[in-house]
Amino acid sequence: MNKSTTAAVPALRLTGISKTFGSVEALKNVSCEIAKGEVIGLIGENGAGKSTLLKILTGIYQPDQGTIEINGAKTKFRGPRDSVLAGIGVVHQEQSLFTNLTVAENISMNSATGRRFGTTFGIYRWGKLYKSAAETLEIIGSNLGPRTRVGDLSFVDRQMVEIARAIRVDTVKGASPIVILDEPTALLERGETEILEREIRKLKDLGSVIFVSHRLDEIMRNCDRILVMRNGELVADRPTSQVTEAELFKLMVGHESRATNHQRGKVNPDVVPVLEVNNLRRKGKYSDISFAAHAGRVTAIVGTSGSGREELSRAIFGAEKFDGGTIALNGKKVSGWRTPKAVRNGVAYVPAERKVEGMVGTFSAAENIVLTHPGSAAFGPIIMPWKRNQVARKWFAELDVRPNDIDQDLERFSGGNQQKVVMARWLNDPKLQLLVLDHPLRGLDPGAAETVNEHIKGACTNGAAVILLADTLEEALEMGDDIVVMRDGNITARFDVSVDDPSTLDLLERMV
Amino acid sequence: MMTTTLSPEQSSGVNEKLIQTASRRSLLKSLTEPLSLLGALVVLIVIFSILNPRFASLENLQNLLNQASLPLIIGIGATFVILIGSIDLSVEGVMAATGVTFVLMSANSRGGADLGIWAWLVPLALGVVLGLASGLLYTKARIPSFLVTLGMWFVGLGIATVLYGTDAYPELSNDALTVWAATITAGLPNVFWVALILMIIAALALRYTRFGRATLAIGNNEDIARSSGMPVTKHKIVIFIIAGALSGLAGILAVMQMGGTSNNIGDGYLFITIPAVVIGGTALSGGKGGMLRTLLGIMLLMVLKNGLILAGVSPNFEDMVSGAILVVAIIAVAWSQRGRLRIEK
Repeated sequence: MNKSTTAAVPALRLTGISKTFGSVEALKNVSCEIAKGEVIGLIGENGAGKSTLLKILTGIYQPDQGTIEINGAKTKFRGPRDSVLAGIGVVHQEQSLFTNLTVAENISMNSATGRRFGTTFGIYRWGKLYKSAAETLEIIGSNLGPRTRVGDLSFVDRQMVEIARAIRVDTVKGASPIVILDEPTALLERGETEILEREIRKLKDLGSVIFVSHRLDEIMRNCDRILVMRNGELVADRPTSQVTEAELFKLMVGHESRATNHQRGKVNPDVVPVLEVNNLRRKGKYSDISFAAHAGRVTAIVGTSGSGREELSRAIFGAEKFDGGTIALNGKKVSGWRTPKAVRNGVAYVPAERKVEGMVGTFSAAENIVLTHPGSAAFGPIIMPWKRNQVARKWFAELDVRPNDIDQDLERFSGGNQQKVVMARWLNDPKLQLLVLDHPLRGLDPGAAETVNEHIKGACTNGAAVILLADTLEEALEMGDDIVVMRDGNITARFDVSVDDPSTLDLLERMV
Repeated sequence: MMTTTLSPEQSSGVNEKLIQTASRRSLLKSLTEPLSLLGALVVLIVIFSILNPRFASLENLQNLLNQASLPLIIGIGATFVILIGSIDLSVEGVMAATGVTFVLMSANSRGGADLGIWAWLVPLALGVVLGLASGLLYTKARIPSFLVTLGMWFVGLGIATVLYGTDAYPELSNDALTVWAATITAGLPNVFWVALILMIIAALALRYTRFGRATLAIGNNEDIARSSGMPVTKHKIVIFIIAGALSGLAGILAVMQMGGTSNNIGDGYLFITIPAVVIGGTALSGGKGGMLRTLLGIMLLMVLKNGLILAGVSPNFEDMVSGAILVVAIIAVAWSQRGRLRIEK
């Protein structure tokens, strides 16, 4: 480190922060310091207390005990506004921008910062508003147009707007901003992640960064120091140079990473593939797509966001129509392919938009599990609650869903545990033969990701074919037996991982 | 001041182009949507003029604007309310209550208080109070606005019924008020001037004030608005007060147009205004829309109503025809938004 951080007053100091909800101790006596110009990694499983800590820093929760000091001065945040005024800006995991307003408005929308940049007595002066927004965007090296509507921006560009809004606090107070990046890369494609990482390095010159992520490799690459949380406690505070990824995993999860030795089988040419796609096309999305998915194998489809792989996977599940070509299941061509028919034929689909498409948030976890395939819980059309609870408890135990409360509304579980329940819903189908997974690990902590991956492999072992749209190429290579590469709606390459052993570079070359 | 200078990003040209086309597309869309409404309006006017030449007469057009005035005033409030993703169904009840209050506070056939030129203050205050009540119940008791205002509709009707008592409906005995409402100034009816000026103020407020922008922001995402430090609850209450006051004003003006009042003075206004706001393209989910759209939507429906009568459609069929046309119009407007996942709210 080139700065003399040791002698200076820390930008942020937390002392003995505790927070209890009912009988649950969400935070136990957490103390830490963050210097100006430092990038801190904050990791921990879902439910380890990270979100509570962030909510305390942003003024949404008030701590039961402990103190917050900003630049050496004790502070109390009574609400989000106080936190903004103290220089803390957040880039949220689920983006928090107004999609119907312009970039400039979003940057100045924090009521604490808006006043000086283009509003006088509540009246907007658009010229000044745009100009000041352009200046802020220039500081972070972004050339977005301040007049653009945020709804028209790509995901990574929206993140730039969030960063711009977060550092806006600096120009108000003259204090150094503390930017919290809450799992900013969870929803980004590969190229976009690099843009963000460049941005993090720039933010170091402006102030401090707290970087929350589930991807340990990213944490190792970007952070100077790493804080690990488990069960509401800070269990480790280490400089990045003195720790390894494996150690971090163990600190977080509490056990060693189980070696993922994926047994890769050979394709039996005599057996009819579970899924055969022939010359499938949809205008403007993909064309001439032919591939097969075999029982017991994971077929990973890789490609950038415009490659058409999402649309393709939805077409296979019958959730979107296609213009031509055929889909055959076990050698039989399907017609009138819609989701109810797909479900009856043992096809399952785990969508990327979990909260929107994958679950009924206001139903209990147990109800969600038996929603599609009630299995033994149903007697004809009647669901028997005690049998349903049996089924739910079995899956809860199997997938280690936490908290272990099958009656709680699904929306109140953390993302990783929601995903486990969504998986259980499909795994509860005894006739499951094709599992289509759209970004199944999105937003999951390493522990939950491990569990989900184990059950994907379990489904394979039980004879299902899996189609996987992975978050990263590494994930695709680790999980996939076959890899299909797509670019601009066409298949550009196919690999049998056990034979060809492709590298990420091999894939990348054919993706872009 | 910031002194840090950073080398500009070696930006990808592709990205920049994407952004440019995106912003051009949205600009185009924001212009063409109202334009297509304007086009539809022009087409309707031409068709009705051909069907019955009297349609385009100055007298009929002035009559048309006169009839459109109250829907416009109510439409301003409805637009604000719908922009925050709520709905106000209490319009007709508030109109009935304020209408009778106004008559009783003016010189009228029943006698009683005569506040002269200040008579409008009491009914307007009543509108504010009813709006405030809706707003408080909606935000504090957390009852859906749909139910709260449905209840407030009948509370308004109840107030009116109590005030009427068992006597005959009261009538204004001061002709000056009715005359003013029927007067044409600079080619336009006086009541329409009121509506137009309020409309312009509202449109400017929506575009150029913190209040207006916060309305759009809250409609887009209330949670984000709250965590950005906006006073969301207060804002919503103020919007319901505005809507209540405007309904109250509509009640007063309706009395002035009719020369008297009855329990059902507000009948039919809700049915015109809310669909008109939606036809204008303001989304019921909130956050998207504007005053110009509401203006066009209301003019479209009023032209339709007036034109159908002049085209000789029997009044017995008028309701049915306008109902059917309404549904078709809403489908036409909403067609582009029926995507599988409306991620963009």
